[in-house]
Amino acid sequence: MDCPVCGVKVKVPDDSLPGELFECKDCGANLEFIQDEKGRPGLKVADEVAEDWGQ
Amino acid sequence: MRIGLAYDMARFEEKALIQAARGLGHEVQPIYVKNAEFSVTNPVNPGLDFVIQRCVSHYRAYGSTIALERAGCRVVNNLQVLRDCADKLITTSKLSAAGIPVPQTMVAFSRERALEVARRIGFPLVVKPIQGSWGRMVARAVDEQTFQDIIELRENMPNPQLKIHYIQEHIDKPGRDIRIFYVWGEVPVAIYRVSRQWKTNTALGGRAVPCPITDELREITIKTGMAMGDGVLGVDILETGDGGLLVNEVNAVIEFKNTVLSTGYDLPTKIVEETVRVFRK
Repeated sequence: MDCPVCGVKVKVPDDSLPGELFECKDCGANLEFIQDEKGRPGLKVADEVAEDWGQ
Repeated sequence: MRIGLAYDMARFEEKALIQAARGLGHEVQPIYVKNAEFSVTNPVNPGLDFVIQRCVSHYRAYGSTIALERAGCRVVNNLQVLRDCADKLITTSKLSAAGIPVPQTMVAFSRERALEVARRIGFPLVVKPIQGSWGRMVARAVDEQTFQDIIELRENMPNPQLKIHYIQEHIDKPGRDIRIFYVWGEVPVAIYRVSRQWKTNTALGGRAVPCPITDELREITIKTGMAMGDGVLGVDILETGDGGLLVNEVNAVIEFKNTVLSTGYDLPTKIVEETVRVFRK
């Protein structure tokens, strides 16, 4: 799939789950695997760490 | 069994738990909470034997646990445990009331009273937000001036929680602390989190090293797990200079990637096995 930041192809395994994180090896962007309402896969820039994240 | 896994990020831990459950022959239904909706007034039971709560966001974990329990699901950990572990003031209070050793802890609600408390505890000491993880906003005051600066910053933050001044004695750790895991009454594995920094969270660069589980560690961990309401917990323990152990905090949505990688112990399988055993009773 294409990195939404730099357009380079990012390898995403077939068994990836929505919410799974990947890093674009080219631009270093943290990316999140998503599926739209029709189930079509894609990548978006991952959310920044929020104040309530953690254990 | 049919096992749900409520999550918002699919990290090492979530994938490992799914793989472990499927490897044990269970059916797994991942529940991607960011895309989920639940009826509170007309709940629909999803027909799962239990759900493992894995949301990284505490409020997504909180909200989805409430909704799932409303729908009749058993959630691990349950709402009471999740809520109590997320609040350091509640955690320390429960543990202290159960006779479990914890750092000396005071709470104050104004800068003036906080300063009086600090002078009595003595410096250095530690000021923490009552909610938060990964070492965020945890500050060490080495003297009265530093303490006043910390309190001044907290008092001027918009979050009202930061005006609850949770103040603890500083424990001089031996360059490490202990993360030990409690799984339904068992204590299967532990690591040291080693760091030159005083905050040893692995999120802040602490290095995981296997930790042998002594009888004392096992006993304090079991007592802690029972005091917090049982379940699957990560317990953070400090070693004092005289060989004592103090429970620093308890975590209810545990991270264990570094533990698995450094010890080779299959904690995700243990978690699923024990949870199935408990819920089959």
